[in-house]
Amino acid sequence: MEKYKRIAEDILKKAKELGAEVAHCSVRESETNEFNVDGNEFSLFRTLFDRGVTVTVFVENKKGSVSINRFDDESITQAVQNAVSAAKSSNPDTAWEIAKNIGEKHFKRGALVPDREKLFFRTKELLEDIKNRHPLIIVEQMIVTHTSSKGVYMSTTGNTYFSESGRYNAELMYSAHEGEKATSFFGSDVTVADLDKPFIDCAFIERELTDIENQLDSAPTEGKFTGTVIFTPGCLVGTVFGNICDNFASDSVLLDGTSLWKDKLGKQVADERINVSFKPSDERIVCGQVYTGEGFIAEDFDFIKNGRLNSFLLSQYVANKTGNERAKNSSFSIVIEGGTTPLEEMIKNVKKGVIVGRFSGGSPGTNGEFSGVAKNGFFIEDGKIVSALSETMISGNLADMLNNLVDISKEILIDGTVVAPYMAFDGITVSGK
Amino acid sequence: MLKDILTPKKVIFAPTSHTELRGQNSRSRGVTLVCGNLTGNSRQDISGVSARVYKNGTYGFSSMAEYSPEAAEAVLRAATENADFMSLHINKGKPSLPIVTGGNRILETDIKDADQKVYIDFAREIDNYIAKKYPNLKSRTVAAREDSMEKLLRISDGCDAHTCLQRSYVYVFLNSETTSGAPIELFEAYGGKGAFEDNFKDPQELFPKIDILYEKLMQKREGVYADAGEKTVILGSMMTGMLAHEAVGHTVEADLVLGGSVAAHNLGKPVASEIVNLTDFAHTAFGNKTPLPVYVDDEGVIASDAKIIENGILVGYLNNRESAQHFGMQPCGNARAWAFSDEPLIRMRNTAILPGTDKLEDMIASVEDGYYLLDSNNGQADTTGEFMFGVCMGYEIKNGKLGRALLDTTISGVAFNMLKTVDMISDKADWYSSGFCGKKQPMPVGMGGPAIRCKVMIGGR
Repeated sequence: MEKYKRIAEDILKKAKELGAEVAHCSVRESETNEFNVDGNEFSLFRTLFDRGVTVTVFVENKKGSVSINRFDDESITQAVQNAVSAAKSSNPDTAWEIAKNIGEKHFKRGALVPDREKLFFRTKELLEDIKNRHPLIIVEQMIVTHTSSKGVYMSTTGNTYFSESGRYNAELMYSAHEGEKATSFFGSDVTVADLDKPFIDCAFIERELTDIENQLDSAPTEGKFTGTVIFTPGCLVGTVFGNICDNFASDSVLLDGTSLWKDKLGKQVADERINVSFKPSDERIVCGQVYTGEGFIAEDFDFIKNGRLNSFLLSQYVANKTGNERAKNSSFSIVIEGGTTPLEEMIKNVKKGVIVGRFSGGSPGTNGEFSGVAKNGFFIEDGKIVSALSETMISGNLADMLNNLVDISKEILIDGTVVAPYMAFDGITVSGK
Repeated sequence: MLKDILTPKKVIFAPTSHTELRGQNSRSRGVTLVCGNLTGNSRQDISGVSARVYKNGTYGFSSMAEYSPEAAEAVLRAATENADFMSLHINKGKPSLPIVTGGNRILETDIKDADQKVYIDFAREIDNYIAKKYPNLKSRTVAAREDSMEKLLRISDGCDAHTCLQRSYVYVFLNSETTSGAPIELFEAYGGKGAFEDNFKDPQELFPKIDILYEKLMQKREGVYADAGEKTVILGSMMTGMLAHEAVGHTVEADLVLGGSVAAHNLGKPVASEIVNLTDFAHTAFGNKTPLPVYVDDEGVIASDAKIIENGILVGYLNNRESAQHFGMQPCGNARAWAFSDEPLIRMRNTAILPGTDKLEDMIASVEDGYYLLDSNNGQADTTGEFMFGVCMGYEIKNGKLGRALLDTTISGVAFNMLKTVDMISDKADWYSSGFCGKKQPMPVGMGGPAIRCKVMIGGR
């Protein structure tokens, strides 16, 4: 840590000498050990030794930033010069601001040292578990890693943070096959702090493999109808709330004024049963964010509380530009509260609708309108799953949808990066052939 | 520019294993102006060295964020240890990789680097022009970008190479509202291969192009929703390129074929109408350099064109050296790595449907009730060939004539079914190269083609 601290001090000293009134930087090193599987077979074992330096300076309220991955004195000097030069060419903007006077902090989280042999064992075990329990599945690609990093963040505003972290991650992409029949591909993902459990028992990996095997005999829905859509937790996070965050609450849409929610702070934007938070310090999140890019200590906060918009997702810069408050962290450690109804019960309550495991469509516009193909899903009629889906589109409006909630499942996905249930919404247009 | 510190290390390559040693310097420069606010102003320089060793059917790989003789020796050692680890635990007993032509390609172009001020001043002048001339826009974003990948490859068996792929673009996003208050957006990327200062000498040269973009946005303000259902459409070059890349190109990448893509069961079979030809070009197409030329790939294979569809028949896959051996095909130079710390993956280069003999105006005139679909802002496809593309600019065709502009819509289908409906192909092709392809690692790719007439499902509102 002393090495990183010395480099960071040198960067800030050089920046001040070159005319920066304010500067901050991060200096870090990481090691990644990774096993790859392609087409059901091991293909690669790689070890990466990486490092990074990011320097951001402010000269007369003008900002410049440079990233390099070298620690030698010549490269550091050049990087600081380039950052100052970029800042001097920039526009002055008094909205730029970084955290002040927090002092020295130390953060240490997760598995700092990889257990390569056990990681290999768990990877091989997962591959064998899939072959034995799900023989129709072909693993197109599996990437299993341990990543550890350590480094220092330092600012001229009185902050120095030392951090060390390490975590294991398994990502797999797969599809089911029987003769020439094949399903759409699907991805499962889990992040863990230790290797105590087999990967197949983590997150929803077993459940998702089963779902994909059950999608071999698929059919388009007939005609067009308005019905209920149950989003799986992964799809709910990525497609529904990912786009809601980007389109209604993020820096870009508040800065350019296109957010539908720009005047909705403190107001009802969703059904009162919906609670969404960003909680990097939640015990279910592995190695969550500890400080933001602007140097603020990350704190948990509520985004939507009982259906009311509690906070935008803004940086300090855009908060200053728009007269709002910054978000208390800038992670995507989203925690969506579960409900009390079992998924099976939710399905029984659907008259006509679909379960959607993945959405293949463009990003909705800032008006929230979405339209795309419902992938890895099932058609439900009179409370029963009738068939798997193919060539079926869904369309609706994200903002309207949040007020058409039907139910929230008791089952919750905990994959180390997000926490989310299944959610059912009414009033979605489903069109088949 | 990277100095050659790697050639002397060839003597320590493991004698019986295929070994790649690659030094790389990746640069990016960028500025972003949102409604005149300079929200992005950054430069990135990332360099290092990596080694990959093939032994008994698996690879060992290692990289280090340092370009030095010591780092080269360290990654060679670590990659060899990793290959030994895999050979011990997973010995597939596979033979050595097939022999490819050797040689040494020398860097032919200068690598230029402009000051950050050049990007800021250029973007600011474009932004000022838009703000002054079009004050009624709801918002605007102007971004100026350049990225480059310089690679020095030394290989145990194959072609050594020192290459650089540099490209630069200006992106303009214009936002307005329909008459009913719904937000609409259009964007255009200007530029291509080469340094920023070579591609953008004078901001004024872009002004007429921005005027055209604004004109299209105003047409879109008065736009209508497409009627949902299966329609006869003319796909413009960009949409054709998207189809070639997303819906066909990915399914014929040999690693995805081995993972069970739709192409696994269709080699040698008709997958398109007889007038359809599709190729992944290496560096030259239609008598000119491709938008992002590749001469030698990161496995030391001298790049050549890879034919995918010939007269409607699926004739080949995109391979690396290992998959080419598996399928009994020739590798054409499709193994490409993004950063120094990335291993080569099977990637497309410049993928296009080949031009035909029809005139675009005749094609439009031939459609009684359909659409002319020009621009896409996104697209996704499945390994089954099922695709979905967003359409952000298009027009109605009524009785052979272009009609009203369209509001955003989507098209979808299954590639090998939809390509069988192609019955006219225009005689002129265009290329697009401003984006990244995503597949474990990002990668700059070119895609393009002519206009094609076909049948496709189009979403309505």
